[in-house]
Amino acid sequence: MSVLDKKLGREFWSSKWLLLAISLIITLGVGCYVGMATVYRSLQTAKTDYYSTSRMADFSIELKKSPLAEIEEIGRLPGVAAIRPRISFYTTVDLPDAVQPINGLVLSLPERRSATVNDIFLRRGSYFTDRRENEVIVNEAFAKRHKLSPGQWIHLVLNDSRQELFIVGTAISSEFVYLLSPGGIVPDPEHFGVFYLKQSYAQDVFDFDGAANQVLGVYSPGTTVSRQATLDEAERMLESYGVISTTPLVDQASNRYLSQEIDGLASFAVVMPIIFLGVAAVVLNVLLTRLAEQQRTIIGTLKALGFFDYQIFLHFLKFGLAVGVGGGLAGCLVGYYIAAGMTIMYRMFYSFPRLDNAFYNDIQASGLAISVVCGIIGSLHGTRLVLKLKPAEAMRAKPPGGGGAILLERIGWLWRRLNTGWRMVARNVIRNRMRTAAGIFAAAMGAALLSSGFMMLQGSLYLVDFQFKWVMRSDIDLTLKNERSEAALLEVKSLPGVKLAEPMLSVPGTFKNGSHRKKGAIVGLSRGAKLTVPRDLEARPIPVRGCGLTMSRKMAEILDVKRGDFVTFRTSKGLQRDHEVQVLEIAESYMGTAVYADFDYLNRLVGEHGAINQVQLLVDSDPQTQEALFGELKRLPSVQAVNCRSDMVKSIEDTLIASMIGFIGTLIIFSGTIFFGSILNSALIGLAERQREVATLRVLGYGPWQIGNLLFRESMIVTVIGTFVGMPIGYGLTVLMAISYDSELFRFPVVSTSLTWIFTAVLAILFCTMAQLFVQRTILNMDWLDALQSKE
Amino acid sequence: MATSLSDSVTGNSSNPAESLIRLENVDKIFQMGEVAVQAMRDVSLDIYRGELLAMVGPSGSGKSTILNIVGGLDNATNGKVWFGEQLLSDFSARELTRYRRDTVGFVFQFYNLVPTLSARENVMVSTEISDEPMDVLEALRMVDLEDRADHFPSQMSGGEQQRVAIARALAKNPELLLCDEPTGALDFATGKRVLRLLVDLKNHLGKTIVMITHNSALAQAADRVIRLRSGQVVEVKTNDQPVPPEDIIW
Repeated sequence: MSVLDKKLGREFWSSKWLLLAISLIITLGVGCYVGMATVYRSLQTAKTDYYSTSRMADFSIELKKSPLAEIEEIGRLPGVAAIRPRISFYTTVDLPDAVQPINGLVLSLPERRSATVNDIFLRRGSYFTDRRENEVIVNEAFAKRHKLSPGQWIHLVLNDSRQELFIVGTAISSEFVYLLSPGGIVPDPEHFGVFYLKQSYAQDVFDFDGAANQVLGVYSPGTTVSRQATLDEAERMLESYGVISTTPLVDQASNRYLSQEIDGLASFAVVMPIIFLGVAAVVLNVLLTRLAEQQRTIIGTLKALGFFDYQIFLHFLKFGLAVGVGGGLAGCLVGYYIAAGMTIMYRMFYSFPRLDNAFYNDIQASGLAISVVCGIIGSLHGTRLVLKLKPAEAMRAKPPGGGGAILLERIGWLWRRLNTGWRMVARNVIRNRMRTAAGIFAAAMGAALLSSGFMMLQGSLYLVDFQFKWVMRSDIDLTLKNERSEAALLEVKSLPGVKLAEPMLSVPGTFKNGSHRKKGAIVGLSRGAKLTVPRDLEARPIPVRGCGLTMSRKMAEILDVKRGDFVTFRTSKGLQRDHEVQVLEIAESYMGTAVYADFDYLNRLVGEHGAINQVQLLVDSDPQTQEALFGELKRLPSVQAVNCRSDMVKSIEDTLIASMIGFIGTLIIFSGTIFFGSILNSALIGLAERQREVATLRVLGYGPWQIGNLLFRESMIVTVIGTFVGMPIGYGLTVLMAISYDSELFRFPVVSTSLTWIFTAVLAILFCTMAQLFVQRTILNMDWLDALQSKE
Repeated sequence: MATSLSDSVTGNSSNPAESLIRLENVDKIFQMGEVAVQAMRDVSLDIYRGELLAMVGPSGSGKSTILNIVGGLDNATNGKVWFGEQLLSDFSARELTRYRRDTVGFVFQFYNLVPTLSARENVMVSTEISDEPMDVLEALRMVDLEDRADHFPSQMSGGEQQRVAIARALAKNPELLLCDEPTGALDFATGKRVLRLLVDLKNHLGKTIVMITHNSALAQAADRVIRLRSGQVVEVKTNDQPVPPEDIIW
């Protein structure tokens, strides 16, 4: 080891706290990168493998009912490799100890195991056997939550009749990696499950002999045939059998959520490290510049002794390199554990046959490389000063820095009001431009992280409130089998505990505006409906008018329509006719692509009168009354599904709040590290530079806390300015995130309240104060007499 | 090249008239913002091999500027600087570094030791880049600090630190030793001891030594004394009988 390396080692040790603070920022930056890139790859690999082994469908077509022979034709279309017709119905699950009706999705599967489209992955038990017809395979999460095992019996209401089914196995499926109940945003295995039945049994029980109501298909690999053209053709071929919707893989709910999450990880894996490493490079730059200035004479001496410039340059560069390597190695390790933690979290929400944390050599190596580059970039400015310094010049004491008046002094009335302490503070802050700028930058990044974190939390809570408390206000939603008359509503109204019942009619169809097409539904709301209230951007209720549509903003964007425009609506059930309807209002909506119309108007539009297929209820919260209500609902043959929305909302809130608390906690630690590291660095450097000034103040009678106070004011000015700069950046980050998460399924509201900014400012001030305590300790331990005697 | 390092050590001290460094009509102008400060004006002088040359003069007289130019730390604005038969003033930055590394040893008023390195390590800073260095302990022994080898600058007195600096300069066996106020920060007794060391280095090792001092009394120990004022040589005096440092009083 050369003597210069020994020198480096000892200087490292003497600056250990500063370097530790910078390394920690780098560690978090690299940790974020390695962690997120690792999880990104694990998820992406798991998804690709799973989709490939289970022959995940590239598209699905939901129909009313079509003969299998017609469906088989789809398989012969050019570019289509395989198809599978299946029967798909929503069901009610009757568990003995469950008070509420539980909903489920019933899907048919081939009797015998084959390489079928959307194959399942068995977790426990076996595939169907020949022993009985009424066998069922239950999705794993539901089975686990309700302690159901192969060998047990379960009761489902299938086509109005309660059927007893024998559980042969539990399974997961690539189409339900992220399993949502209709209208849900987080998996809820307590209230929703998927049940696979034998194809023949499903045909019998649903009266679907030789027919199906869904087609799944996969494209031929490498086909040059346009996928949209294939889908259009398939839709055309099946049109007479009532095409309800056509869903390409990209719009498939589970895939959409999963892909969005994976894409989000990719963005975070770029944005977060840029913030951290940017701050680390800037802070390191301040430290190294200071070191180069402090070691001016040593540099001159080394040059006088005959060291080449490159040798001295490399010597100083090693400082940054060491920080980069140290922070990088720690970051790689931290990243591995971040990935481990995130993998565990993802396993709770996403069902894969296998999702393991992995050690990817290339990601780890690139993490380390990024860190080293950050260290070098952070050192370059300071180290370049070393090169510029002429040996003779280096030997001379540094000329005193600019000591003249600062700009602020020209504002006479203000300057005169400042006492000497504030004047010193103002001059120091303004004269040390680079350090002040670095401090402001770091504080801005810290504040941006904090404020965007708070905004995301508020956005999530706002979304739940808006969607589930203000727009959809019912306690229970009933889906009826086919359209019913108003008598059904009266029947429901008479059930125990029902305080309010409102009818709805949902009519599926295709919206068209020029070349823009979108499948969806119009939901008819009764005049003055209280349980579904469309709202505008400011959450003000929008009354549904007697004619025309109230369209969600997303649907309006997809169809490219504005208020007052007309769209064509073609119903997919019954008489398939085109209707020209006017869009009268645009409603805000953060989920789905709802379109509302007046209940009577919609009935008239589709040639019905008083037809109902959904009922929304407001019910008594008394548990006994509710139990009685659920008991009645289970017995009503016209009810196809019962959704307890209040339970769903509670489960969403619990999940969302739990994950958000973790997220915010992490963000506070992360931004705290940035604030703390930067402030500590700046204050300790300032203290080291001004040892003699501090000593002189001590001689004059200033106490250590008074001196600390001067430094504290400087840190606080930088922190406050940086925090103000960072707030709009945080807002911008949130807007970017909202844009990246914008999809038909889900939009993220950008919400900021005064609390966002107050919390950000309070935390920034708190971090600044904490860092100051550390600085104060250094002031208390300082040998100021020695500083007074040392040469400048 | 006129001489090599080994030549100088074996010493041509018997022939003091041989010029090691020659300055011809050298000017040095510092540009300080909008003001040009002339630190050296038309300076011509010789530094002879094996002599102890003292440069005296008040602050701002140009002593340090001459030393920096002779030592290859700075360039002349006009004029020529010869090192033996080589034109030092035409050297590139890299050649100047090589020249400093192989030929020159510096001793500074404030020692300029690396505070985080021990005495031994400070000397090693010099030996590690030298082609034919002395043994580190030998260098410390020459300045009588062998037993302080593992002490850090903060644990040593000013005199001791200056002796470490001299050991550091000596350890790479330079032909030319340039000392900028070597006793400037030292007390009387310690200053004398350092001066004795320099005289011994000249007498026993045949080193050529240039010593800057603002203290005229110290110049009595030198073979020649150059007096400067306002960047010009105003007097060159030869001491036929240099006074032993022990006998000098200031």
